[in-house]
Amino acid sequence: MTSMCEATTRHLPGAAVIELSGEVDGSAAAVLTGAYQNAVDGDSTRPIETVVLDFGAVDYINSTGIALIVSVLARARAERRKVVACGLSAHYREIFDITRLSDFIELFPDLDQAVSQLAH
Amino acid sequence: MTQVARPAPGKPRRLDTFTLASEPGNERLALARVAGTVKGLGLSEARLERLKTAVAEATMNAIEHGNGNRAEIPVEVEVTQDGDAITVAISDQGGEAYDASAGSEEPDLLKKLDGGQTPRGWGLFLIRNMVDAMQVTTDGQRHTIWLTMRTGGAAHDEHV
Repeated sequence: MTSMCEATTRHLPGAAVIELSGEVDGSAAAVLTGAYQNAVDGDSTRPIETVVLDFGAVDYINSTGIALIVSVLARARAERRKVVACGLSAHYREIFDITRLSDFIELFPDLDQAVSQLAH
Repeated sequence: MTQVARPAPGKPRRLDTFTLASEPGNERLALARVAGTVKGLGLSEARLERLKTAVAEATMNAIEHGNGNRAEIPVEVEVTQDGDAITVAISDQGGEAYDASAGSEEPDLLKKLDGGQTPRGWGLFLIRNMVDAMQVTTDGQRHTIWLTMRTGGAAHDEHV
């Protein structure tokens, strides 16, 4: 019934995409922090200015998962990187609004639209 | 922000009651079973999702903080309906020593980002914002959180 969080990281010019799947809860801590590290370390040709969190294959986020996202955002802000997110269901978009995460993380319906804005 | 109110008076009809071992992750069992129980009772999809999140967070609190992740101490869940009010009661054995609603600082994202608050502490905040009413009661060691959602709450869908 439950599915562990998994993350795949890939790089675009000046940006990194972290594609998440499964459940973003307390068990996702190492996965998420490791994926962020891979994201910002992985491209030596150009600094990573934007990290895209793709929640399109995530089926559950709980309060501990929100805390993990806050930690990632805090680190990114300290490193002067932008974080955007895509693929959230309407319910989790609402939770991003309630928690004010959407004040600091720009939300896009899907990865294509998130990536397309990187060029602007 | 959700009002904190008593469950609706009257003679509630019990829809389901069950227990869960206090093991991390079992909150997913609670939300799935409650979702199945209330399906077809008139909650919109958005409000059902909110109730599921509230049930999961309250059950997680009961498992972790109320029962201290001691599997042998069950979390009890009861689902009742009284008119248009669906109430989910989630009980642990944490007693007065654990009352998540008392004394906890409201989460402030900016403070969390700047290190003024821990990144955690969203559970009760989410619960309050997900349901129409929330109440916490303590009877000896028995600690219960009551989550009420009304089936005729379309207006609430548009503003939380």
